[in-house]
Amino acid sequence: MSDWIIILIKIICALVWFLVIALYLTWAERKESAVIQDRIGANRANIWKFRVIGLFQPFADAIKMIFKEDFTPSFSRKFLHNLAPFVSFFFVAITISAIPFGDVLRIGGREIKLQIVDFNVSLLFVLAMLSLGIYGIILAGWSSNNRYTLIGGMRGAAQLISYEVALGLSLIGLILVYPSLKLSAIVHFQGELLWGWLPKWGVFLQPLGLLIFFFAALAETKRVPFDLPEGENEIVGFFTEYSGLKWGLFMFTDFMEVLIVSCLLTTLFFGGWQVPWLYADGFHFPWGGEWLLPHGIVVAFQVLAFNLKVFFFCWLQILIRWTYPRFRYDQVMDLGWKLLVPLSLVNIAGTAILLSLIG
Amino acid sequence: MIKALGYFIEIIKGSLITTRHFMVNMWFHTLKLFRIKTKRKGAVTIQYPEEKRDIASRHRSLHRLLKREDGKPRCVVCMLCVTVCPSECIYVEAAEDPDPEVQKVPSTFIIDLSRCCFCGFCVEACPEDAIRMDTGQIEFAEYSRDKLIYDLEKLTG
Amino acid sequence: MAKIFIDEREIDVAEGTTILKAAKSAGLNIPHLCYHKAFIPEGTCRMCLVEIEGIPKLELACSTQVRDGMEVSTKSESVIEARKGVLECLLADHPIDCPICDKAGECKLQDYYEEYGLFESEFNEEKEKRQKKIEIGKNLIHDQERCVLCRRCVRFLREITKNEELGVFQRGVHTEVSTYEGILVDNNYSGNLAEICPVGAITDKDFRFKARSWFLQRSESICPLCSRGCNIYVESHQGFSRFSLPKRVYRIRTRENQIINGFWICDKGRYEYSYLDQERLDNIVVNNSQDSHSWPEITSLIAGEIGRLYHMKRSAHIGLILQSWLSNEELFLIDKIFRNDINIEKICFLDPPEEAADDFLLTAERTPNRRGAKELGFDLQPANWEKFLEDVDLLFVFASPIRDDTDFSLLKAALDKIEKTVLFASHNHEINSSFDIVLPMSLIAEKGGSLTNIVGSVQGFSNALDAPGDCRPAWQFLVELGNKLALNIDFYNQFSDPESIREVMKKEISFFREKQ
Ligand code: SF4
Ligand code: SF4
Ligand code: SF4
Ligand code: SF4
Ligand code: FES
Repeated sequence: MSDWIIILIKIICALVWFLVIALYLTWAERKESAVIQDRIGANRANIWKFRVIGLFQPFADAIKMIFKEDFTPSFSRKFLHNLAPFVSFFFVAITISAIPFGDVLRIGGREIKLQIVDFNVSLLFVLAMLSLGIYGIILAGWSSNNRYTLIGGMRGAAQLISYEVALGLSLIGLILVYPSLKLSAIVHFQGELLWGWLPKWGVFLQPLGLLIFFFAALAETKRVPFDLPEGENEIVGFFTEYSGLKWGLFMFTDFMEVLIVSCLLTTLFFGGWQVPWLYADGFHFPWGGEWLLPHGIVVAFQVLAFNLKVFFFCWLQILIRWTYPRFRYDQVMDLGWKLLVPLSLVNIAGTAILLSLIG
Repeated sequence: MIKALGYFIEIIKGSLITTRHFMVNMWFHTLKLFRIKTKRKGAVTIQYPEEKRDIASRHRSLHRLLKREDGKPRCVVCMLCVTVCPSECIYVEAAEDPDPEVQKVPSTFIIDLSRCCFCGFCVEACPEDAIRMDTGQIEFAEYSRDKLIYDLEKLTG
Repeated sequence: MAKIFIDEREIDVAEGTTILKAAKSAGLNIPHLCYHKAFIPEGTCRMCLVEIEGIPKLELACSTQVRDGMEVSTKSESVIEARKGVLECLLADHPIDCPICDKAGECKLQDYYEEYGLFESEFNEEKEKRQKKIEIGKNLIHDQERCVLCRRCVRFLREITKNEELGVFQRGVHTEVSTYEGILVDNNYSGNLAEICPVGAITDKDFRFKARSWFLQRSESICPLCSRGCNIYVESHQGFSRFSLPKRVYRIRTRENQIINGFWICDKGRYEYSYLDQERLDNIVVNNSQDSHSWPEITSLIAGEIGRLYHMKRSAHIGLILQSWLSNEELFLIDKIFRNDINIEKICFLDPPEEAADDFLLTAERTPNRRGAKELGFDLQPANWEKFLEDVDLLFVFASPIRDDTDFSLLKAALDKIEKTVLFASHNHEINSSFDIVLPMSLIAEKGGSLTNIVGSVQGFSNALDAPGDCRPAWQFLVELGNKLALNIDFYNQFSDPESIREVMKKEISFFREKQ
């Protein structure tokens, strides 16, 4: 019984964390783009003249979205049309269940894993769910019953499927290095040290894999420079026929994807919740120093580290989105099939050879 | 391959530029947050309703009709402004003035600002220097078009 | 014939013509202010100076006659220099208040200054102050400062109207045109003064400050206010896209026609034009109701009524009252439809009574086309109304426009008794409400056609203005009525415009054939 309650609490906490951070990513995107472009950014939303650097902006946006007319075109396939945004949203939201936020937390002799579920093939699960997100796009494009949205949906599907390949292949090397498909195990492996001082993070063991994964994941988020399925102000795409809250869901899903990609990058290549040289009982520095800490503080450090890493990658993704111009469609395809896929194969082969040499 | 590498380098350079902007601007924003005065600011934005940009002296703003010493409008209804106005938004009607040296004064002078394109031709055409666009007034938006029809009284202020 | 060279162009003109006329005939314009085709040249303004080969001093083009082999130069340096000098002297005391001058835009002085002058005045003295607003006639305002002393006005009153109401007084810089002891210019042609004054010294009171001349669109027409048929320009204002104007027509000006009116029109024709815009009827009214009706519908209705009576052999009960405001073509069609096709006899004319004629242009008949009606064989004698209105079941009245002084008492009493009454009118009038159907008619200025004037000249005209609202010219209605009646379809089918009707008229009636 109490297991269920704990799981429920974990789900609520993770989901709230996920949604709130994603919500504030919209704000962060506006602010970061503004700062990059020497502007100030949205700062007018206020409650009783209380502005706090525009922190209320996401709420203003949400209220606007809710009160906008939710228009369903008469020619659309109504049920699927309404379903599509929720499909996209759902498959992104569910991936959070496999992300480990920290190690185990011990309260009153009970061990609580800071992860909603920790099952054997959580890596595959995450990949599978992300791929299912394509359904939302295709459904949206097709059920709008409009040629342009259909083509937009097809473009989206083609792009996502192409990069799915590179994404999957880039992780094979990682799985060779950390022989597990369990995310928590992968994070644990990354806590070990190489040559006694360098943490065994994916970024050091699989640099090429990281690059491939990063590019492929960027393409998966469908944001600039890969925003070919729907380019808000130039390209008619799959959610053209949506308005109001359902349109908002699509946009929001984009931000959730950014967050999930950051979580995955952190978990797979940057040690997840690991802090270098921090062990269950405190720091053990390679030069011999020690700093023992109580269990609660250690867990707090781990969760904090995870969050900071995630935020950094969110920042990086927004930076990229506001730096580069959009690729042409043929370039997108070239990049996927002619560069990333062969490179990931090279990566697998190289890793395998190295591993067998080292033994 | 070399081409791809060059491309890659340029990409990195690009993101370094945006990163630099971000870092520098963020630094000044943070200083401002702590009320530390700096010469340079984090943003070039002018916060409009509170801060206002200076209007250049030759800026064309809301029209006004000038008056003679005795308070009558200077306009003599020569209709040159009406003739030259590309938007056909000026309408003038003449009345007889008892003073034979003045003779012609406007009884109606309407500028329909909802049509005016602020070209300033009327000012240039006026032989009497009776109309000018130097009020510096640029905030006269209204909720209804009727209120944008300025008559003699409104224009002479 | 004399052969002369103007600016190295060879021109053949009759012996005795002046250089200015010769130049004009070749399309060359020599600047002039005081010269006017209607008057003997006086040579007061000196604008027209030209250089003649072999003559050391410059000569006046307006009053020098041509000589065979003469070589004239109108653009040489000394001529331009002289023009500038003359202009400078003319402008020495001129106020140049063009912004408030009604002549601006059509002022010769302004044009010449723009063309040759554009100089800073070398006169340091103060300009002479004179009176700027004197009433010199009931329609005229005089500005002494603007006068260039060309004496056109004086000559007009001396040579044309012969009552010499203006004179030139004083000397030197104080010279001025004025009335004799304050007796105002008061003749029926005074309006012409404002038109011949080359500058804005004499202006029209009626047009004063109403519009600027360059906004006016000028179109040709014929004055319909008496049977002289003077040629006129109707000057109307198209208005602005955003603002509507109080009226369309701003003034009437003369159009030169040496046979009929020379250069002049009378004040009646010039100033009585408000009927064109005021109280116009512009929609079809049936039984005084507000419902809207279309022309085809009403035409069919009327054709049906006529056809019914005709087929019942009761066409003798159709009455027709006409006015000679109708054009030749319209009267011709009426003749064809009502007299030829359905053969009715009750046709009479309700023209306004004759008024005093003057000894120049204005005639006693106050409608434009009585002669045309006569030539088409209509009886113009005033009818015996009581007899006429007896036994009428269907009455048509073509009245355009109805005048307030027309006597309607008899007609009005009879109207109630008549089964169906149709009025063609151009204006709102109390009598309109007594008719069953009232149709809006275009006026002369709004339609095409021809008029026959008192001495029998037939003059064609086309529309100078657009007809307001639903107004239609009577001929258009009549052609459609003829078609709808279907008694002689081939005949009415051939008419598409007044010209086509006139062609047929010319074939059928010798008077119109000869008068063309
Ligand atoms: S500024 Fe231009 S458009 Fe506006 S009233 Fe003057 S002339 Fe017309
Ligand atoms: S141009 Fe000047 S004087 Fe003439 S009507 Fe316009 S404002 Fe009046
Ligand atoms: S008379 Fe001619 S030049 Fe003189 S003020 Fe009038 S328009 Fe101007
Ligand atoms: S009033 Fe006019 S027409 Fe008469 S002399 Fe003067 S300028 Fe000439
Ligand atoms: S036109 Fe010849 S002197 Fe005036």
